[in-house]
Amino acid sequence: MKVGYYPGCTLKGSAKALDETTHLAVELLGSSLTEIEDWTCCGATTPLTETRIANLIAQTRLLAKTRDAGYDALVTTCPFCFSTLKRANLTLANDELKRRRMNTYLAEDRRLRDYETPPPAWVDYSGETRVLHMLEWIRDDFGFQVISTAARVSLKGLKVAPFYGCQLLRPADELAMCDPENPVLFEEFLGALGTDVIDFPNRIDCCGSYLSVARPEAALRASCKILDSARMHGADTVVVTCPLCFYNLDYFQDEMLRGNPEFKQVPILYFTQLLALALGAPLDKLGLDSHKVDPGPLLERFTVNVPGEVPA
Amino acid sequence: MVRILQPEERREAVNRMHELSNQDILLCLQCGKCTAGCPFSNDMDLAPHQIVRMAQLGLIDELKASEAIWYCATCFTCVSRCPVAIDIAAVAEVIRLYLQMDDEARFDPESIPKSLTENAPQQALVSLYRKFGN
Ligand code: SF4
Ligand code: SF4
Repeated sequence: MKVGYYPGCTLKGSAKALDETTHLAVELLGSSLTEIEDWTCCGATTPLTETRIANLIAQTRLLAKTRDAGYDALVTTCPFCFSTLKRANLTLANDELKRRRMNTYLAEDRRLRDYETPPPAWVDYSGETRVLHMLEWIRDDFGFQVISTAARVSLKGLKVAPFYGCQLLRPADELAMCDPENPVLFEEFLGALGTDVIDFPNRIDCCGSYLSVARPEAALRASCKILDSARMHGADTVVVTCPLCFYNLDYFQDEMLRGNPEFKQVPILYFTQLLALALGAPLDKLGLDSHKVDPGPLLERFTVNVPGEVPA
Repeated sequence: MVRILQPEERREAVNRMHELSNQDILLCLQCGKCTAGCPFSNDMDLAPHQIVRMAQLGLIDELKASEAIWYCATCFTCVSRCPVAIDIAAVAEVIRLYLQMDDEARFDPESIPKSLTENAPQQALVSLYRKFGN
């Protein structure tokens, strides 16, 4: 299966650390990721009103482009991209009217845009590209057992709380990756890294999502509740897959502390940072300087390498 | 006081909601599971199950005036727990769409202070503008 990597806007913007550690971790696993050429924003959310057909154009164009470049699947690390593209893909596969509208529009659009050279004919897209999340791809292509064996650094004793967030889980019938009430994928991944995985009830909650921009008090309360719960259950760090979960849980911790002096700060990590660390990446390659709450002091004791060659 | 609409008017509002949101709101049992699970029901002036009930009654003006439709984070907790799979995020999105159709009520991105947008991840801005501004 030939897989194209789709980073999405946020991984080239505020979440560069996620993009870089994704590449780094995959390289340390002895493989590499090829970025799809000429990609655009995926639209970030799924349109929920039936009139908003225009909100499917970016996804359709991207998925068709991926197919036309010879890839069987698209893999992405951002849960927003994953959810948006996977749901659009299902719509295009199953909803004949929307599929016809999208393809008609894009075929015309392509013809109108290119004035000089006649473009290749538009080939109707009907959901051929598989959409995968990075966690899924790592599990299926490498296997969590392989990660376990490849790990150079023991993360034993690091108490991690996996936080799924919304877009990997729901709506579960469409995303088809995890049980929405009792998911295990993230726990299995973190377990394979040798960490002590904390079970905490708020792992499937919503961090507030984009409300942190428009209704910040509501998002702050939601995020604070998640962090308090993780702490109460003994977590040293909360691990996320999503740049927006990261922002809401990390960036606002000073404000949480101002609101409640009892609040205990907790460093947030991307799953790819932990993976790269376990595979032997040095701390200064993990993009930790982009964090508000510095995970450095916590991670320092986990950089002692087991015997073997240390990668540069 | 809840307004009571004439049957015709109510039927039309319900049909339009059904058509635009693709949600069969008449199936709602008012069990309240959506509200119990919604992380923002405490911030809303109308709880999620009340949003659905108002939509069943065709009370679109009341929904347009509510704050609740701006507190939905499209987290899909409600739909995943609803016994009849009603997606309230879609219902709220249709109400916001109605507001977009009324010119004077259009969402203005400039209304959000720069201090809240400048560090936000790109995905937050794109999804916010799409969800609030459709
Ligand atoms: S969970 Fe579903 S059926 Fe129950 S009140 Fe909410 S929308 Fe209605
Ligand atoms: S999708 Fe909206 S209404 Fe439903 S649980 Fe989430 S925030 Fe509440």
